[in-house]
Amino acid sequence: MFIYIDILLRLALWLLLAPLLPGVINKVKAWVGGRQGPPVLQLYYDLARLWRKGVVVSTLASPGFIIAPAIAWTAVVAAALLLPLAGAGAALSFDGDVLLLVYLLALARFCTAWGAMETGSAFEGMGAAREVSFAVLAEIGIITAVLTLVVQSGSIALSSMFEPLPGPGAALLAVGLFIILLAENCRVPFDDPNTHLELTMIHEVMVLDHSGPPLAMILHGAAVKLMLFSVFLAQAVLPLSELPLLISLAALAGSVLLITVAVGLVESLTARLAFKRVPLLLTIGFLFCLFPLILTWMGDL
Amino acid sequence: MIAVLLALAGLCLILAAGMGRSHPRIWLGLSVIATLCGLSAALSVLGGGEIWLWRGGFTLGGEVPSLRLDGVSALFLILVCVVGGLGAIYSHEYWSEHHYPGSAPKSRSWWSILTLSMTLVLTCANGLHFLFAWEAFALSAYFLITLDHGRGEVRKAGWLYLAASHAGTMALFAFFSALAARTGTWELGPVHAQAGLAPLFWLALAGFGVKAGMFPLHIWLPSAHANAPSHVSAIMSAVAIKMGVYGIVRFSGWLPLPENAGWTILAIGCASALFGIAFALAQNDIKRLMAYCSVENVGIILIGLGLSVLAVQHGQPAWGKAALAGTFLHVINHGLLKTLLFFGAGSVLHATGTRDMSRLGGLWRAMPWTASLFAVGAMAVSGLPPLNGFVGEWAIYQGLLRAVAQKEHAAGVLPAVIVLAGSGALALAAFAKATGVVFLGAPRTKPAAQAVECGWLMRAPMFLLAVVMLVIGLLPGLFFAPIMNSVAAWAPQWSGADPLLSPRTLGGAHTVLACALIAGVALLLRMVRTNGTRQSPTWDCGYVAPSSRMQYTSGSFAGIARGWFVWLLRPEVLIRRVRGHFPGRALVVERIPETVLEKIIDPGARAVGYMADAAKKMQHGRLHLYILYVFLGVTALGLMILLGGV
Repeated sequence: MFIYIDILLRLALWLLLAPLLPGVINKVKAWVGGRQGPPVLQLYYDLARLWRKGVVVSTLASPGFIIAPAIAWTAVVAAALLLPLAGAGAALSFDGDVLLLVYLLALARFCTAWGAMETGSAFEGMGAAREVSFAVLAEIGIITAVLTLVVQSGSIALSSMFEPLPGPGAALLAVGLFIILLAENCRVPFDDPNTHLELTMIHEVMVLDHSGPPLAMILHGAAVKLMLFSVFLAQAVLPLSELPLLISLAALAGSVLLITVAVGLVESLTARLAFKRVPLLLTIGFLFCLFPLILTWMGDL
Repeated sequence: MIAVLLALAGLCLILAAGMGRSHPRIWLGLSVIATLCGLSAALSVLGGGEIWLWRGGFTLGGEVPSLRLDGVSALFLILVCVVGGLGAIYSHEYWSEHHYPGSAPKSRSWWSILTLSMTLVLTCANGLHFLFAWEAFALSAYFLITLDHGRGEVRKAGWLYLAASHAGTMALFAFFSALAARTGTWELGPVHAQAGLAPLFWLALAGFGVKAGMFPLHIWLPSAHANAPSHVSAIMSAVAIKMGVYGIVRFSGWLPLPENAGWTILAIGCASALFGIAFALAQNDIKRLMAYCSVENVGIILIGLGLSVLAVQHGQPAWGKAALAGTFLHVINHGLLKTLLFFGAGSVLHATGTRDMSRLGGLWRAMPWTASLFAVGAMAVSGLPPLNGFVGEWAIYQGLLRAVAQKEHAAGVLPAVIVLAGSGALALAAFAKATGVVFLGAPRTKPAAQAVECGWLMRAPMFLLAVVMLVIGLLPGLFFAPIMNSVAAWAPQWSGADPLLSPRTLGGAHTVLACALIAGVALLLRMVRTNGTRQSPTWDCGYVAPSSRMQYTSGSFAGIARGWFVWLLRPEVLIRRVRGHFPGRALVVERIPETVLEKIIDPGARAVGYMADAAKKMQHGRLHLYILYVFLGVTALGLMILLGGV
């Protein structure tokens, strides 16, 4: 009985809090730019509005056009539920669940690309091609970070994997994971969520033809994914699970907020990279994850 | 019991080979019976875990025939039976008398001979007879590949296959005769005690590796798989290359191994996985894409096997068992999903007459069954949960991660994990491209627009495979139990160790996930229905005359990732621009050559040819010069003896 309540609580937490993060990012960007900006809760209003709207479906699209966003959203939420939350641990944990998490994100990616290819639009095809190609480098980086954690903790289950690395390793890992977070969530400098020039985008261009409830699911899923990466980053770097329950949760929330603000600052202060440079920056992110792996590996030998 | 079942299966196959020429329906019935008999024999060995042995009371070619079915060979026998049976059903419609009156009878008999010879390869416990079965298997596969021998590229592909296959067989002849000479018997079995036999493993690895299609010995595989009829491509890719894998698995279990065997297999596995999928992503021909994807999957299998060999050498049953169970499951998984994918590609080829993805598109409307079943296969081959592809890779990953967590012997495992993850993401890109370009969007050419769905005899095998794949994904615990018997047959010394896998938990998670996916889809569909939908053309940023030729093609989709591997792929691009006052048709043609074959082996073969031509000058028919050769030879020999060398 307890476990069901636990899972429901976590689910509510993820679903309700996630749309806050894009709002915070936008607020930070507005402050730095000297504007007032949209309210922090803007995404909630948008989602509620989209959820009630009708849907425009391309004449070329199959039923998969509607099904794919639903699968992608469910997969991202399921991946988020696997992640432990600091002192509260994970609701469900087994050896190798970290791989399930990585591959659930891959499932979401496959379905987003599928939805993009449905419309036969050149723009969306381009977005899908970019998404699946850049994700290769991002996934390599994520698995390297996971390897670092495995070497450090000696465990292959998410619930006991997040053990603090010694100082320099943690700093390097934080930078690497932050770069991957920016890439996987399509933020500047990889992608610009605000631009209307479809040629320059990855994620936004894939969802050009979506509307109504499917678009709401896509936007919400993107927010959950951002929160997932922030929580992962915070726990991989900070020794949160050793603190008492409430303090650790508060610390986790604080660090997620900090990461979000950092994303907003990066977005305000840097320009989007030229597309040729994107793989380069992602490779740098991978290297930032690789060095702590080598450090931890050599450290104990 | 097992003897009766196997004898019945063999008898049915022999009858089918004989009668198949003239009686397609009887052939189909006999094939299905043979499949069921073989399958029940294999399952009872796998379920019980004991070895079935049979020795004949007569000699065949000077040797007493003996058959043996243990956990390892039974596992591969399942694959032979499933794909053999389903392929027979599929080909009944796909390569029917009606469409191919000339080659359909041949297709049926050679199919039966191929399945029979593969069954013999798996059961023969005598090296001499094994070689006979191996040769029969290689030849029958050749005749199946060249069924459509009116086309030049088919003949070329068949020739290449035959040459490569026999190069491998040559290594196997050397291997089996050396083994028989050293052990004094042709009987096959564990020979761990004779440590001197270890170097023979390299011969076996090379000989079986050609058949398995491991990089860089895969040169025959892409053209053979692409040009064979699709049911033949399916059995080649799903089962025939697994015979090579079987050989490597078998003899890595039986022979004493050289010290660096584990690392070598692991490295070959990594190279095959990464380069195989890089080639796959760049292909524009859907069947070539899947052929290269087979190279990748053999790589994944070899990564798992390499880790298991390392585990044996370091005495680490914990990670070895997980990795080997994952490897064996992946053998089955890849067989199932690649059969499904090749059947799907066959249906597309059947309906449109082209394998070029850039000429297809929008097929889901005409072929909804093929499109959705192909999508299931594509998701499984990308290793996405909750399907079977993920389960096998999950177990292999666990073995790797456990080795990493233990740290002592395993620095080389770190790159293997990274390569596995990278090739998984590339596989996702390749299959997102294949499904997206072929089945979604608008039809790019007229044949694609006029396609029709295949008949139910072609759909039923695909549907059955998809169901089995989903069941493996949702109930992995059910399948890990018999596979542990295969693991025990490979490494009996590990019998007591706990594999530390929790397939039941994973199965539970998968089931919950599947329910959640269904619920999520139902919720969204209901919401969309209540809110109402409106049809409208695709938004193309205000452009008023979009055409289907503006869609992203397979070449453009793969562009970014192909750029990373340009040093390996070396694409050849022919561009004819619009020039002059009366320009001809503009044209862009891109070809991805088979680099190893065309850039290394072909020039090498040409160099040998030149040298042979040059050597021919010595044979000119002038007698006095021949006498000079003899004189010089004798003098040289005399000098060698005089100077005391010999």
